[in-house]
Amino acid sequence: MENDKNSQKIVDYIGNFARKHSLFVLAYGTGCGAIEIPATMTSRYDAERFGIRGAATPRQADVLLITGYLSTKTLKRVIRVYEQMQEPKYVIGFGSCTVNGGMYYDSYNTINGLDQYIPVDVYINGCMPRPEAVISGFVKLQELIMAGKANNGEKYRENLEHYRSNQKKIIKNWKMPDYNW
Amino acid sequence: MTDLVKENILLNAVTSAFKIEGKVIRDRRVEVHADKNTVSSILLFAKKQLGYIHMNHMTCIDWIEQGEFELVYTIYHPVDKLTLFVKTRIDREIPVMENIDTIWDHANTYEREMREMFGIEFPGLVGEHDFILEDWDQIPPMRKEFDTHKYAAETFYTRPGREDAKDVREELSKRSGTVVPDFAKKYSRE
Repeated sequence: MENDKNSQKIVDYIGNFARKHSLFVLAYGTGCGAIEIPATMTSRYDAERFGIRGAATPRQADVLLITGYLSTKTLKRVIRVYEQMQEPKYVIGFGSCTVNGGMYYDSYNTINGLDQYIPVDVYINGCMPRPEAVISGFVKLQELIMAGKANNGEKYRENLEHYRSNQKKIIKNWKMPDYNW
Repeated sequence: MTDLVKENILLNAVTSAFKIEGKVIRDRRVEVHADKNTVSSILLFAKKQLGYIHMNHMTCIDWIEQGEFELVYTIYHPVDKLTLFVKTRIDREIPVMENIDTIWDHANTYEREMREMFGIEFPGLVGEHDFILEDWDQIPPMRKEFDTHKYAAETFYTRPGREDAKDVREELSKRSGTVVPDFAKKYSRE
């Protein structure tokens, strides 16, 4: 939300400040990138000093971290998880597999380009990204939140038709619940 | 280097009992080639008489040029530390193979995977048809005539920016001045 001076409202500023410093990451590991998360969280790199920590369930989480390749079977679960998350919600695509398919670009069973199916806030490239890169991606996300630009949950709701049509192209037998937006 | 005594005893035991061909690959590795109808008897014989009580693995190779699937059963003797490969060929057009999950229960998992990935039917096999893939409506993806690159290009979104990706094999041959052999050319990107 913007005020008449084209800057954030005070209340949004305070809200964003609070959100920025408490990013709860859903403990959902896909692909091989999940092995970098323990290293990022534990004492050497200590991501918790940025307010990044794990959350147990989708409804408690703010960030969905897609760590590596997504098979079409996993994409179904990821969409369900993403739709269960409460707004504000953010997605970080992690590793080159989420960017363009990576080394699995010609696989029959892994998607290329995550942002066709769910909106992505920040991409971290690399195969694998080291914990420094992961933290740098989170800091970038914090900047976006602070500037009020990380509103992809809203974008997903508005462009639901577009995303649904892309998702249904991959998931042929669509038997998913419709969540109450 | 050992003189392969145990291996030759095993090879003789199996080949003389079933009148089949086989060879010693190296120490602790023996392979026999069997007809598809005798495979289950060989496996049962090896399990009950020779003590090959463990099945390590069961896999399939697609020989598209010969029109055959090769099935490989890998079984293991935990006391002698010997591994026996039982290999058989089945027709590619009518891929039917005997179900052996009565001998080893865990063969069920491998057979379900083969049914999904190669389309081999195992009569009497109990289990869900979807094993790893979900809602698959193409030909089985591990068959060699399945063009995975084309399928991925049609199904999934391709992000621009991969056009300048170089073919590693041809780049290396250009740089070192060697020629790409003919058998490798069919795998290049051009």
